[in-house]
Parts: sequence; C-alpha cells; structure tokens
Amino acid sequence: MGQIAANDRRTTIDLRNLSRWYGDFQALCDITFQMAPGRVGLLGPNGAGKSSLLKILLGLLPPSSGTGHVLGHVIGVEGTALRRAIGYMPEADALVPGLRGADYVALAGELYGMTRREAQRRAHEVLTYLELEDARYRRLEEYSTGMKQRLKLAQALVHDPPLLLLDEPTSGLDPAGREAMLRLLLTLGRDHNKSILLSTHLLGDVERVCDSVLILHKGRLLLQGGVAELCRRRQDRYRLQIQGDATAFREELRLEGVQILHDNGRGELRVAVPSQWVTRAFFTLADNHRVLLRGLQPDDEDLEELFHRVLKDET
Amino acid sequence: MGESLNRAATPELLHYRPWRGEFRTPAASVWPIARVALMSIFQKWMFWIIYILGLLIFLLFFFGQYLLSWAETQAGESDVQLGGWGRMNPRHLIALFRGFLKLDGSAESYRGFFAYQGYIVMIVLALAGSILIGNDLRFGSLPYYLSKPLSRWHYLLGKGLAVAVFINLMTTLPAVVLFAQWGVLESWEYLFERFDLLLGILGYGLVLTVTLTVLLLATATWLRRTVPLIMMWTTLFFFCRLLSAAMVDGLRFSPRWRLIDLWNSTSLIGAACLGLDLETIRPGNQPPWYEAALALGGVSLLCLTYLIHRIRGVEIVR
Repeated sequence: MGQIAANDRRTTIDLRNLSRWYGDFQALCDITFQMAPGRVGLLGPNGAGKSSLLKILLGLLPPSSGTGHVLGHVIGVEGTALRRAIGYMPEADALVPGLRGADYVALAGELYGMTRREAQRRAHEVLTYLELEDARYRRLEEYSTGMKQRLKLAQALVHDPPLLLLDEPTSGLDPAGREAMLRLLLTLGRDHNKSILLSTHLLGDVERVCDSVLILHKGRLLLQGGVAELCRRRQDRYRLQIQGDATAFREELRLEGVQILHDNGRGELRVAVPSQWVTRAFFTLADNHRVLLRGLQPDDEDLEELFHRVLKDET
Repeated sequence: MGESLNRAATPELLHYRPWRGEFRTPAASVWPIARVALMSIFQKWMFWIIYILGLLIFLLFFFGQYLLSWAETQAGESDVQLGGWGRMNPRHLIALFRGFLKLDGSAESYRGFFAYQGYIVMIVLALAGSILIGNDLRFGSLPYYLSKPLSRWHYLLGKGLAVAVFINLMTTLPAVVLFAQWGVLESWEYLFERFDLLLGILGYGLVLTVTLTVLLLATATWLRRTVPLIMMWTTLFFFCRLLSAAMVDGLRFSPRWRLIDLWNSTSLIGAACLGLDLETIRPGNQPPWYEAALALGGVSLLCLTYLIHRIRGVEIVR
C-alpha cells in the first residue's frame, strides 16, 4: 500500500505489459508506459487501440494480460474508485435529451457521489468557469456543437478529478471554438494541476496542449516522448502552383534538398522541404528559372503521413 | 461569431475552483437516475393525459364506493319502484349493485381495479419505454452514465425504479387508497380484519412492478423506438392472449398454453396474492398460479440476462 501511495505521487498512470484481445484479434499489445502528472497526448489513427486503452483506463474493460494502476487504483479491480478519480469526456454527444445544461452537469455530480445540493452548486460554478452561464437553463438540444463540447467538459470536471480523459475534445469545432477549447485545456492542466490524457488524431491539438505524447499503431506503442521531439520529426510541406516550363525549376529544388512528393503534371506540386528552409527561396528559384509561382500554401505533413514515416523509420 | 466575440469580451474574472467533499456510495446514484427518467416522462403532455385517464378509473371506483355507502345511509325501510319490474328494498338494491360492480371492498374488487388499471399502465409503458431507456441507447447517453462510478446494475436499478414508481402510482397506490377508503366508510375494523387484503394488494403490485419493469427495460433496450415497442407489447399482451385463448378454449389444448399470455399470468399470481380461488377467474380452465409464477420468473430471468449483456460499459468509447 505504501508502495502504491509513493508510486501514486510520481505517476498518474502506470501500465506494465498490458494486452487486450477480442477473440483472435489483439487490440493492444504489450503496452508499457508511465505517465507522470502532466498533459499527455494519445495519438493514433482509427483502429490503433486508443479506444480500448481508454476503456481499460476507465475500468470498463479488464486487460487480457498485464497490470496497471491509475492514481494508485488497480485497473480491472477497482473500477468504481477508478472512475471516481477520473473525469471522462466522450467523443460522442452523450447528452440526456430533455435536460437543461445545469441539470445535466448536476446529475453528473450526483452520479459521482455528490449530494444534490452540492452537485447543483458545483454545476453552476463549473458552467460559469466554462462560460456557459448564460446557456445553463437551455435544453441540451438547443446547444451548439461548441457549447456541447464545453458542457461535456463541465460534466467531466464537476467532481474536480485529478485526471481527465478527453476523447477528441475539439471534434466538430470551428477554428475559434477549437482554439478556445485548447486554451481551456491548457489552463486546466498548467494552472490547475489537472493531469490530462488527450486522445486525438489531430497533431495540432497535442502540440498546443500536451508536453508529451504516446503514439499507438495497430495496438502497439510506437513512440513515446516529448511533443517537441515529435514535432521535430514532422516535415514542413508546401503545395505549389506554378506556370511555365518547370523542368529546370524542379531539378533546382531537388538539388536544394527539396523532396517532390507529388506532381500532377498540370503545374501543381507537393513538396517536403529541409528543416532550415525559408519560404522566400521558392520565389528566388522560380525567378531564376523564369517560372511563375501562382500559389504557395503550407501543407504540413498530417498525422497519417507522419505515422507512416515514423513506422517506416522504426522498422 | 457572436459567441466568440462575447467570449473575447469576457474579463478573466472567473477562475476554476477546486472542490473538496465526501462522495457517497454508488447506490446513491440510483435515485438521481430514476428522478431524471421520471422527469423526462412527465415533460410530455401525452403522459399527463394518459395518467389522468388512468385516474378516471380510480375515481370511478372511489366515488362508486362512496356513493353506494352514502346511498345506504339515505335509504329508507320502504320499498322503491323499479320501473315496471316491481318494487324492491333499497338496501337489497344497493347490495345488488355492490355485488355486480364489485364495489364492496372484497378481493375481487381490487382484482378488478388492477385489471382495468393494468390496461392503461401497459399503454403508458409502451409509450414511455423509448423515453426511459431507448433514448439512452439512441442518443448515446449510456456512456454518460456508465463513465461514472456506478455499475450497470445501478443504472438498471435507477431506470427500473422509475418504471416501478410509475406503475405503482397508477396501480398499487390507488388500490391502497381504495382499501383505506372502504375502512373509513364501512368500519375501521375492516382495516385490521382484512389486513391480508392489503398484503395481497402490495403483492399484486409487486408482481406487476417486477414483471412489467424487467420486460419494459429489455424490450426498450432491444427496440429503442416507440412504434416497434408498441408493436412488441401488442404482440405480447394482445396477440399472445388471443393465441392462448384459441389454443385452450378453441382447440382444447392443455391449460398450460395460457402461460404464453403474460398478462394472464400476472393476473393469476395477483389473484393468488389476494386469496382468490382459481375457479373465480375468467376465462376458466387456468393453470395453477405457481406455474404462472415460474413462467414469469423465466421470462424475467431471460430479460435480465439480455439486459446484462446489452448494457455494457464497453460501449463507452466509440
């Protein structure tokens, strides 16, 4: 017990050789990681095993093999205590039709074990903090997507848990809403000492909020490390639209270390540039070869591409 | 856009406040689940209409008992003329009415009340099923509940409690009121001498509550939407009744075929709770009550097994 308590102070999540099988299909394979209090991004494409990992962390699914602790609670044994220590924000709407915002959050508080009076008071506090005070008496059906996301965060925060599991918190949000949500998560993690496990497929979300990252691929932990390290591995890419004879221009780009990823033959190129590349160099090269550069758009490597490249590097 | 501007204009005055307090046991979450489910039902005006319809039957019994009692005190000794059929003593006439309408505080009176009220309850439940539990599956509310520190048993108990409250508000509670009214109108001793009837009423209510609750939760979890749910309940309680009647009364099959009629089975057990003989039950040729209890127990067990498999926490993450 003393060991767990001591362990608890250092690590929020501690998984050792954790695997999960669904019949013959292995969803998680030998996952071992320790998450210190902080903000961690859980990245992976569909089918990577993120959902299974979240189910296991929430104590809703027992691991097939391996052991783990979340905030000192044993996974697969202390499901109720575990969920009490976690605030979970699901990706799906997960709303109760007919309820008003304040009732929805207060109900979550009661389900976590708060008395009705405490839950109601806390619901108003959290909704005010999340800037939903004007909408708290509206029915859930009348909420916009952004408000629904904040409401789901409110119900996860109502009992002030030390750990938040967030499943695609920016899903369906417009850029402004997304930025607001990410700012909120960053504040919660940085200023209010909430540990956050942010499950997403958007690298930008992780970059903005988290200080470390886990990448899952086909049930295996592909990469574990700092966000800065991951971002260093991401390639800067551009989409170019050119007019004129581009043969010499393309050759010059190659000589400068630019990788041409795609050329549609009608003047549209997708290129990956070396790390010290400056955008102005495109215009200089185009001018040198009498090519008109009609369009230049940053088109950074997306997560899917990064996965494949990291996977290729790892293997 | 307006929302974003509003957010931008809001001063940074609102801070997150930590919460420190004691959590209650997971069992404490059962009533909030039931309360919210009941609230969802009573938000619909249609349920108020049906509930008031259900109350009409209660009021018929309530004022029927009251009027006959009052008439008894007003009746004189002399006979009254009954149209062209001759004369009759008013007390005999009232006794005749009481016997015919079963408004006499007897076990049959309460059985009749449960039977009539049961039809309304079934209609209400068929309509309420999708709101109570079907919507949780359709609109993804299940992850909301199951990600909290409670088990699926607590969730099912909460939903079941909502159905139970509704059923008992329409059947057991009014029946107990009728029992108390008869004691007040006729004699206080009735309340003590016929205490077995009160237990019978509670027993009948319990049978209806358990059977209908489990059946509703299972069918609503399976079908989710109102129209298929109504069709299923019609099949269970109307076509199965017709089928069993055709097999037993028409084709002269074993009375055990009546067990496929679940409503008949609840009536049989209810009648046994009220201490009524099998011979007083119409239609005749009925199986014994314990076979009905076994049949209902089997169906309830099947429904519970289905529910345990269907209401799973692993649905939580998509």
